Amino acid sequence: MGENILVVKDVCKYFPGVTALDNVSIEVPRGIVYGIVGENGAGKSTLMKILSGVYEKDGGTVVFNGETIEHTTPIQALQRGLSIIYQEFNLVNSMTVGENIFLGRFKENRGMRGTHKKARELLDSIGSTINTYTMVGDLSASEMQMVEITKALSFDSKLIIMDEPSSSLTSEELKRLGIIINQLRDKGISIIYISHKLDEIFEYCDIVTILRDGRVIDTKPVGEYTRNEMIAKMVGRTIENEFPPRAHFVAEPLLEVRNLNTKKLKDINFTLHRGEILGLVGLVGAGRTEIIRALYGADKARGHKIFLRGKPVNIRNPKQAMRAGMGLVPEDRKHEGLILPFSVEGNITMASLEALTKYGIVNRAAERDIAKRQIDSLSIKTPTQTTKMISLSGGNQQKCIVGRWLEIEPDILILDEPTRGIDVGAKYEIYLLMNKIVESGGAIIMISSELPEVLNMSNRVLTICEGRITGEFKPEESSAEEIMERAIG
Amino acid sequence: MNIKIASQRVWGTISKQGAVLAILVLMIMMLFFKTNFYTAYNWLDMLRSAAILEIVAFGVTVAVICGGCDLSVGGTLSFGGIAAILLINIGFPIWLAIIIAVLGGAFVGFINGFLVVHQKTEPFIITLGMGMLLKGVCQVLTDAHPLPSKVPAFMEISNSKFFASIPSLVVYMVILFAAFHYLMRYTSFGRNCYAIGGNYEVAEYSGIKVIPTKWAAFIISGATAALAGVLLASRMNTGSSVYGDNTGMLVNCGVVIGGTSFAGGVGGIRESFIGLFVIQILINCMSMLGLDSYYQKLFEGILIVTIIGLDCFFRMRKRESV
Amino acid sequence: MKRDISARFTRSLRNNLVLVGIIALIVVTAIIEPKFISSANLTNVMRQLWPLPFIALGMTFVIIGGFIDLSVVGMISLSGVVAASLINPLGQVGAILSGILLGGMMGYLNGFVLTTVGAMIQAEVLFITFGMSSIYTAIALLLTNAETLRIARSTKPYNIFTALGSGTVGMIPVVLIVFLVILVIMHLFYKKTLAGRSISLMGGNKEAAFLTGYNVKRSMRLVYTISGIMSGMGAVSLVSRVTTATATSGIGYETNAILCVVVGGTSLKGGKGSVIRTMLGVLLVVLLGNCMNLLGLSTFMQTVMRGAVLVIAIWLDNRREL
Repeated sequence: MGENILVVKDVCKYFPGVTALDNVSIEVPRGIVYGIVGENGAGKSTLMKILSGVYEKDGGTVVFNGETIEHTTPIQALQRGLSIIYQEFNLVNSMTVGENIFLGRFKENRGMRGTHKKARELLDSIGSTINTYTMVGDLSASEMQMVEITKALSFDSKLIIMDEPSSSLTSEELKRLGIIINQLRDKGISIIYISHKLDEIFEYCDIVTILRDGRVIDTKPVGEYTRNEMIAKMVGRTIENEFPPRAHFVAEPLLEVRNLNTKKLKDINFTLHRGEILGLVGLVGAGRTEIIRALYGADKARGHKIFLRGKPVNIRNPKQAMRAGMGLVPEDRKHEGLILPFSVEGNITMASLEALTKYGIVNRAAERDIAKRQIDSLSIKTPTQTTKMISLSGGNQQKCIVGRWLEIEPDILILDEPTRGIDVGAKYEIYLLMNKIVESGGAIIMISSELPEVLNMSNRVLTICEGRITGEFKPEESSAEEIMERAIG
Repeated sequence: MNIKIASQRVWGTISKQGAVLAILVLMIMMLFFKTNFYTAYNWLDMLRSAAILEIVAFGVTVAVICGGCDLSVGGTLSFGGIAAILLINIGFPIWLAIIIAVLGGAFVGFINGFLVVHQKTEPFIITLGMGMLLKGVCQVLTDAHPLPSKVPAFMEISNSKFFASIPSLVVYMVILFAAFHYLMRYTSFGRNCYAIGGNYEVAEYSGIKVIPTKWAAFIISGATAALAGVLLASRMNTGSSVYGDNTGMLVNCGVVIGGTSFAGGVGGIRESFIGLFVIQILINCMSMLGLDSYYQKLFEGILIVTIIGLDCFFRMRKRESV
Repeated sequence: MKRDISARFTRSLRNNLVLVGIIALIVVTAIIEPKFISSANLTNVMRQLWPLPFIALGMTFVIIGGFIDLSVVGMISLSGVVAASLINPLGQVGAILSGILLGGMMGYLNGFVLTTVGAMIQAEVLFITFGMSSIYTAIALLLTNAETLRIARSTKPYNIFTALGSGTVGMIPVVLIVFLVILVIMHLFYKKTLAGRSISLMGGNKEAAFLTGYNVKRSMRLVYTISGIMSGMGAVSLVSRVTTATATSGIGYETNAILCVVVGGTSLKGGKGSVIRTMLGVLLVVLLGNCMNLLGLSTFMQTVMRGAVLVIAIWLDNRREL
């Protein structure tokens, strides 16, 4: 059996153009809490998906509980005793707690009563008082997490992986989680704890591995790390020429936002200057996307004032935002940005059509010119202008969306995760484009989960945490560690 | 289950279900008119009239809970009745004819399942097309004339009474209700259906065989519709291709009115029973008040637009309040 | 290069399987039954075609926009009834215009209801338009008391009205000329105008269109209004051809129109399609009917065939890559 529950050796995973995991090795002993930290894109979730059988690994070996595992499916992993609790809970909201714990195993428990009885026992064993007859959809996030943990226990799990378990918990709930984690450890169950939040890592974990760019940077007992060392190892990357030199054109204020409030956002105030790239930094779900969507009129917001060049403007829908000189490159390219059945041309020109329309008729010749111009100037790689959008690579698709906005020359371009899922070369081109926009007197608001990107591209950074702006930095003058600290709250 | 949760759930059901509210409104309204509405006879009659559609709805509910939808049941209903009568008229024993008819319905469900389960697209228009196809089949089988049964015993099935007063159709409905309720609430299959409709990926990751289960749901839906068709044919002593004309839409609407959503995973047989019963009470109220069938159609339309519209509206509000 | 061409050919063949199948059938019929290509037969087809092309034209816009419209049944019935009953008080031109106007109003009402309640997914749209259809049909029934309204052809005064349906200019039916003019206008509208582009953008991705400053709700009201106007025109052309109007004259046109659109190759997923291709679809569906007539298939068998073609076409459409 050995003392290690999980041994991962030299595991590799390649995606087109990207090495997601590069010879990653970790050893998880029995009965400890093992922390894995790293930035977004460091390879944490890829590793988890390989362990759970969602992805197939491209090399290396995985030994779980003394057994070498080649191919696996999520359900097989569960039955072997390896559970994963994702950030997005894997629960059926419309079913009861008891049934969710034993989903798909109704027969084993001899029906409804047996299911609830067993569920009750398991919940009691971790000291939870959740009623097994409650609908999961009515539970709070921390209760859902308890259900997930109970579900893992019901499979007699020997290893439970928790992916960002605290992201939706209040501090009170977090304490309860800590107690549960200690209970599980005392039962001899190992836990892999993945988190951004270093406080938790230091509090709960025994051994910590730092991942960066798909590689293991360091592994040692938590006591041997200092906080600063850990942050430095997470963010410290020094690839040369990854970013173009920062642009310096900041001039007079262009946009002022006052008292922006929604259900999720609390009192957002900020100013954007002409020629500036303003970065919004925060964890996923902190409210970054909500800020720009409310600003852009895509979501409803109350009582806020927006001043453009000193004059108040009213923005209640994207159309008004566009009239006011804004453009938005949304986060979810496929569902919010692209018109997949359309051609490259149709996707590029869709924001500028109104200007090309006279008496309701679209000037097709001018439309073709625009598309050609943008394809040339952004060097979008496409066989023809009429090629279907779906056959382009991610980077080229993104360039089409950027080109869509460049054509109408917006004063303010909002970029939400502009380089997600695109390769290094295309990233660099997008950075150059951003510099070109501010050079010509525009301004950019950028959201990115990749800290180096924000730090190297922005003139100014706002940190967002739990719906509030928690800090303002000049990246040249402050360190990545300071900013990260403020963003994780 | 403690009392607090139980009472919460009762209130939740009432406030969430427009259907229960609609029944209450109609019942209060009928207090102000001097009619036979509040008589045991009338309620039994309503149950009997509703029985056929209710039975169809039980089967459809299974498909809808799985995240599907079956608009072809109208055609299957006509087909079931016609097939049974055709077979009886050429000398098959009644029980065998019924079994074959129900198997025919199951086969229709099998085809629906084949067309739908492997694809993530929505099953509405394709099952609508199946309904049209089946109507054509029924017309071919009957030459578009009503087809009377030549064996008087067949008529007995749906026109007899138990205990001298309870119509047999009501009894069948109650039995099927119990059976389906049990199936969906207390069996592995039923619970898996809820899981699939509630969250397809989670169900798949939990090791539930999603495709066979969903396929079976469509087969059940088809078989039940054919059975209802047999009962209807026995009640009328004829089979006809026009019996199922609006059934598909009406039953599916009733199911949604009851609170079983097309998103899947919620609702149940009890809810569908109430949903269909709303439609029946509405029809009954209007005929009690002497409104002709045209007004009935009008109010049917208004009811569908209102209830489904409100459903959409509340969901939109929920979406927008981020 | 050669390989590329052949790959492209097989792909386009696979994407147009239904079209190819129907064309093959027509060719075979033409060989077996030379009567098929006689001018008498084709003239006959041309005359009996209406009002399907109008309805399919309107439906094309709704489907490109990513929705579906079942209310054409009610709209055709009610427009037809109103046009026929207004012919005395308003005169012939007035009757024609009022039928079309009423269609447009009903279509706008559909769009208004749908956008107000925020119906966005196919299920919601399907049921609400079905409910609206019931309402329109019920009103038509109430207006006519379910009787057939007749427009006497023998009396001279109505020649303008009836000319629309059965008159000819030389060899060419008047209605065909009218339709071709509308077809060209609608084709140009779709291809050339911003409003037309907004419709297909909405069908391609509602959220992206919204975020790029398009008014999706307005486009939604627009497509339903177009469908309503086309139903109104179709209704007038139908009444003028058969010189009678009933409250049930619209039945079956919804599935037939969807059939034509899908056979033409417009995807039910929305976002792309073409008016001209729908007309190809109409032509093929009608010729298919004519072939089946000549081959001696009953009208009922034809319903079966049409249903089968619809189901297969949707199935293939779902399997097709983008």
